[in-house]
Amino acid sequence: MSSTRREFLRRGWQLGGALLGAAAVWTTYESLRPLGASGAGGVIKLGNYSNYPKGTATYVNEGHFYVANADNHLFAISQKCPHLGCRVPFCESSGRFECPCHGSTFDIGGEWIQGPAPTGMTQYKLTLDGQNVVVDTSKTLPPPPRGAHAYLTPPKGPPCAQKG
Amino acid sequence: MADITTGAPPGSGGGPGGPGSGGPGSGDGGGSGAGTPPARDALEPTVAYAPGGGLAARVERSAVWRSMFRHPSLDTPRGRALQSFSNFFLHLYPVKVPRRVLRIRYSFRLGFIAAVLFGILLLTGVYLMFFYTPAVGSAYGDMQHLKTGVGFGQLVRNVHRWSAHLMVLVVFLHLVRTFYAGAYKKPREFNWVIGVVLLLLTLGLSFTGYLLPWDQLSYWAVTVGTNLVQYVPLLGKTLQNLLIGGSQIGQTTLLRFYALHVAVLPVAVVLTISIHIWRVRKDGFAVARSQESSSGAFEEEATAAPAPAVPATAPTHLYGGRVRVLGVVDRQSVTAEERPVDDTVFTWPHLLVRHVVFALGVSATVLGLGVAFAAPLRGLANPNLTPEPAKAPWYFAGLQELLSRFDPLLAGILVPIGAVIALVLLPYIDRNPSTVARRRKVAIVVFSGLMVVAVVLTVIGTFFRGPGWKFIAPWTHWYVEL
Repeated sequence: MSSTRREFLRRGWQLGGALLGAAAVWTTYESLRPLGASGAGGVIKLGNYSNYPKGTATYVNEGHFYVANADNHLFAISQKCPHLGCRVPFCESSGRFECPCHGSTFDIGGEWIQGPAPTGMTQYKLTLDGQNVVVDTSKTLPPPPRGAHAYLTPPKGPPCAQKG
Repeated sequence: MADITTGAPPGSGGGPGGPGSGGPGSGDGGGSGAGTPPARDALEPTVAYAPGGGLAARVERSAVWRSMFRHPSLDTPRGRALQSFSNFFLHLYPVKVPRRVLRIRYSFRLGFIAAVLFGILLLTGVYLMFFYTPAVGSAYGDMQHLKTGVGFGQLVRNVHRWSAHLMVLVVFLHLVRTFYAGAYKKPREFNWVIGVVLLLLTLGLSFTGYLLPWDQLSYWAVTVGTNLVQYVPLLGKTLQNLLIGGSQIGQTTLLRFYALHVAVLPVAVVLTISIHIWRVRKDGFAVARSQESSSGAFEEEATAAPAPAVPATAPTHLYGGRVRVLGVVDRQSVTAEERPVDDTVFTWPHLLVRHVVFALGVSATVLGLGVAFAAPLRGLANPNLTPEPAKAPWYFAGLQELLSRFDPLLAGILVPIGAVIALVLLPYIDRNPSTVARRRKVAIVVFSGLMVVAVVLTVIGTFFRGPGWKFIAPWTHWYVEL
């Protein structure tokens, strides 16, 4: 296929412009992309696992998450509601996480029970270093999907929030 | 010619060409005949500057003044045209506009009101910038300082706040009115698209400004608002992280929102408004319904002033075979320009006076709102304490209401993105040329239905929701914060 010099130059300019635009978009993305965006950022050592007895959820202010013991399984559960990001407090009376914004409720393992949240609560990677609990808040685990009820138990008592 | 008054500036020697040189149709070449020195500037008639020896007249005749304002203030049709041509701000307007444009019902001046509000936002915003630092540690303190330690600080902030809310409302109403008037139809399709972009930019401007006070209201409203983004398929989390600069709202978010709010989005809005106004001038004014015939827009004008038919092939049997086709233009573009001369009026003063009155009215309204209602400032933002209820800004409350009831895929993705795409494509989907309501029943019914749903959802989310998103009548407890 033959082309005139003018056509060749025009296509060259167009290609060059497209490449330059793509490079600008990519550079902008790279410079604005937050590092460690999946979690709060660091490794937090939380001491002996015996500090987190069965059926409790302890708030860790340093990383904005809970360490919850559901039937002797430890979880590091983000305080953030998967629905629209509100902080979800743990209700001691019901033994469940209850979101004050739109009424989503989660069991002590962070599994979805009811409400508009699309999934269970986000969790961070939790490991045991000997008897010490270590949470890496830079690494999130896939939240339990709706319908997962491995740790669902009847509520201990009345809920803290009025549901809409 | 009779429009030109006399009174040549001193030292001009009577001016090139004399009194008749600047008449209509002779602007470029007037006065440059043989033996006459060429005119300095075709738009600067050498007559008609104010006579007399008063200070004002002397200033107006001075070379400095005339280097800035290249025309005298002639109170004549030609003078007004010259003013429009040679003045940057007046040049935004056409020299003459159809008389019906002066009627309030023509457009309700909504586009102009939105532009005025944007101007007020720029002025008040710059003032606020002098007293604000976009840092988590100081932003809230700056807001308190504005309240107590800055002259008119609270008032300016109030005016800024109410202007922002009003601008969102007015731009939305402008879009709705444009739809009902059918003004998005050919040849204004692309200007409608630009208008939709302007609506999105306005929402972005308002939303990014929402975070800056760094109080509980702004923090959680923006938390809820930015979490809406995560429902965008595939790119949701990435977009959210890009927007807030991390996994949760913090210093990076504040800085990004500030940069977007004071630089990126205002520049984008100014550019887009410029294109929008320019397109209004280039695409012409929407046709009034009374002028539309049975078969669609422009038709009556087309039949009233038919253009000479030009056959596709050279009609060798006519005019002795000496026909030269000078050009073929779209019939509609010809007829759109063919209006009776007496149907138009000069922009200055007829339209401009009305605009000035409206601008003053809008300014007085937001000033009154600013005096009467203080912009809210709650406690310092606390990521560990979600207020009840936590609501997105009112213009996203409908979306929040939808998300509380339906699957995120539907409520967070299909509905909002689908709505924007539908709005953008509307003029290309709706090929019905008519602008008369009774001939656009389907479009009007569908659009009106969607608008009613959107407004009802917004009203419910804003006024009828309380703690736990429980349904609460606003007259029993007021959970509305703007």
